[in-house]
Amino acid sequence: MRRYAIQRSLTVIPVLLGVSVLVFGFIHLIPGDPALTMLGERATPEKVTEVRARLGLDRPIWQQYGIYIGRVVRGDLGVSIVRGDPVLADLLRRFPATVELATAAIVLAVALGIPIGVASAVWRNSIVDSLARLWALTGVSMPIFWLGLMLAWFFGVELRVLPTGFRLDTGTTFAPWTNFVILDATLQGNWPVLADALRHLVLPAAALATIPLAIIARMTRASMLEVLSREYIRTAEAKGLSQAAVVLRHALRNALLPVLTVVGLQVGHLLAGAILTETIFSWPGIGLWVYESIESRDYAIVQGASLFIAVIVVGVNLMTDLLYAAVDPRIKYD
Amino acid sequence: MRLSRLALLLVVGVCFTPMPALAQTFVFGAQGEPVQLDPAVITDGISSRITRQIFDGLVRYRGSTTEVEPALAEKWEVSRDGRVWTFQLRRNVKFHDDTPLDAAAVVWNFERWWKSGHAQHENQVKAGQTFEYWEAQFGGFDDKSVVTKVEAVGTHTLRITLKDPQAPFLANLAMFVFDIASPRAVETSGTEFGKRPVGTGAFKFVEWKPNQEVILEANPDYWGGKPKVKRVVVRNIKDNSQRLGALKAGEIHAMEGLNPDDVAVVKRDSSLQLLLRPTNTTGYIAFNYKVKEFQDKRVRHAFAHAINKKAIVDALYGGTGLVATQFQPPSLWGYNRELRDFEYSPAKAQELLRQAGFAQGLSDITGEDGKKEPLIFWYMSRSRPYFPNPKEIAEAMAADLAKVGIKVELQTAEWAVYLDKRKNGQLSLYMLGWTGDNGDPDNFLCYFFCQPGASREGFYANPALADVLLRAQKAVSQVERARLYRQAEQMLHDDVGRLFIANNQPPLAFSKRVKGYVPHPTGSEYFHTVEVQ
Repeated sequence: MRRYAIQRSLTVIPVLLGVSVLVFGFIHLIPGDPALTMLGERATPEKVTEVRARLGLDRPIWQQYGIYIGRVVRGDLGVSIVRGDPVLADLLRRFPATVELATAAIVLAVALGIPIGVASAVWRNSIVDSLARLWALTGVSMPIFWLGLMLAWFFGVELRVLPTGFRLDTGTTFAPWTNFVILDATLQGNWPVLADALRHLVLPAAALATIPLAIIARMTRASMLEVLSREYIRTAEAKGLSQAAVVLRHALRNALLPVLTVVGLQVGHLLAGAILTETIFSWPGIGLWVYESIESRDYAIVQGASLFIAVIVVGVNLMTDLLYAAVDPRIKYD
Repeated sequence: MRLSRLALLLVVGVCFTPMPALAQTFVFGAQGEPVQLDPAVITDGISSRITRQIFDGLVRYRGSTTEVEPALAEKWEVSRDGRVWTFQLRRNVKFHDDTPLDAAAVVWNFERWWKSGHAQHENQVKAGQTFEYWEAQFGGFDDKSVVTKVEAVGTHTLRITLKDPQAPFLANLAMFVFDIASPRAVETSGTEFGKRPVGTGAFKFVEWKPNQEVILEANPDYWGGKPKVKRVVVRNIKDNSQRLGALKAGEIHAMEGLNPDDVAVVKRDSSLQLLLRPTNTTGYIAFNYKVKEFQDKRVRHAFAHAINKKAIVDALYGGTGLVATQFQPPSLWGYNRELRDFEYSPAKAQELLRQAGFAQGLSDITGEDGKKEPLIFWYMSRSRPYFPNPKEIAEAMAADLAKVGIKVELQTAEWAVYLDKRKNGQLSLYMLGWTGDNGDPDNFLCYFFCQPGASREGFYANPALADVLLRAQKAVSQVERARLYRQAEQMLHDDVGRLFIANNQPPLAFSKRVKGYVPHPTGSEYFHTVEVQ
């Protein structure tokens, strides 16, 4: 097990190197001169030269990569081209908002997706199953962008029961400690702010949870069906155990393993989905920030944030793999 | 049981917590995040909308015009040769940090913008910022600038000496970039001043929550009268539809950046009102004069008769567009009202083409090297105020051209590539446009036509036109200048140097509760006259 853990951890290094090459290379893959894109209609040749020099674009490419990687290793993701602020500090300040949203979404997706999947498998081909499968299919194919707009329109504009965006209402005075607003409000015992924060969280979390929920429900159903057809389930039933005990204690525990992998993989999708969800709901996390930076061609931020997100996804997948081994003692790695 | 009841309560509570009242607060929905709030180094509309509330300049634009009226300077006079300007500053004005606004403070601001060795100039440049507009409007830094001396000749008297007379001088000073900052605050904050701005304006800076909102509060001692609202919140809502949703839901009071299709939605909604910014933007089609066919004026003339501008404006601008007859938008004082535009007439266009020897139509063009190639019409990949739907507009124009026998291939390129090709004169026929900075005709015409034969202008060379424009730049009397600009527009029109298609009046949507908002062509409006009922 320990050997596996070390081996698995080492595979992360080439992956991250590859990611860094991609992230670094993409600035050179986009057509056009980044300096000119940034300056727009009013660019004079002198300005373009000046900006190119400032971005280091006038050096040979291998040199640029060397400088870049040297900085990244020291934890320096550079400074924003537009605003001049350090990228890493800005990233860390915005990250809690994204974590809060992604956590809410994954909790929602797991809390609803697993029961739906189980019900679907137990009452296979019933009306419950058909509805659940239809819903899962719709959920997987629904563009977040459209869904987010519809949710905001219906609950925010038509019914006016939930806000159309943001983390807190305008003019809410609240000094967060960690930028995890829900955590901070709870720790500070500030209930009005907590309620306000939860109201703002409902729609974006629901939008972001839709796809993972559908995937988890489908995966749970498939995995449950497989386990339910095993012989030890028949044995359990033959022993006269109640259906609840058979399903929950014997079947679900075994069926959950592949689901766990899927949940781990969803983290990457959640972070990608957060870019659209945060933009639609003006949620001040890294997704909205990346979107704005793409628009304003702030390559330093896009590079820094992409690298950061890649590290998170690689890290979560590593943890899932290790967890998998820990949860299921039958799995042996040699 | 108890747990589920608690959960139910929580859900109900979460859904029905009442919205807080916004009576004393004006909430504006912006399209994005400000870059920073130091007016001297910014160039974008989102940032300047906020700095305009915090700062004042020596002069400002009156109402919704681009004419200039007193602001921090109560009055001024100019020497007969147009080189020496003397400003009397308003007395008893204080910056938000309680330091006094006097001639010395204004001199300090000018030196910061103008002198590259000034500590507060140098540090900005090192941090990657540029004093771009100073360079553009006043000829450059240090010795290159048209400004040669700025001095305090009394506690509240300021004298500025210029190398040559500069006709747009006051219009330049009214731009948001030349708003006066508190010297002490700039010195204390250095390059961070853009995050903690201090001016003399109607609102004081309170807080900037990144990617969320900027909060300002009323300055009760404002020299121009107490603002009508206590707080201003500028919220950043990236998506146009979502911003409209927030407006309909009552979460914001005003917004910019309306999709052309949503203009009708706002008009239909009885709780909303639509305001239009006076137009300050022109979209055009430019020819490349290295193309042999385009050197024939009759061919250019045929294009002018072939395109149905009115139909395009009616169909694709959401009702906020205007047909352009010349480069300057109608809000500028150099606009030529006498100018008769070419009428839409496919028959005339065909006749002109026939005369030019293209009775069979035109689909190939001849390059400098004599090689034939298909005629490509380049359209923009990005929406700009002057062409809000570039692709649809280009398709409509291509269809019009096809009717008279001009067959174009539509092509686009990524924005940077597009601008790059345009700069190098590699586009044979293309769309682009301009949005004015300071309401001066020079800002429209001279940038494009003062250097005959420039590659970025498709090698268009009209030295007589350049001569008129350069004279207009130096003339002191506005009457004389207006005459020269009208003449320039007529010359450009008669030569069919370029085809001007449309002006747009960018739409703004407001809750009906908002009164007193005056839209301005430059897009930088003041909030102190705004009331929320």
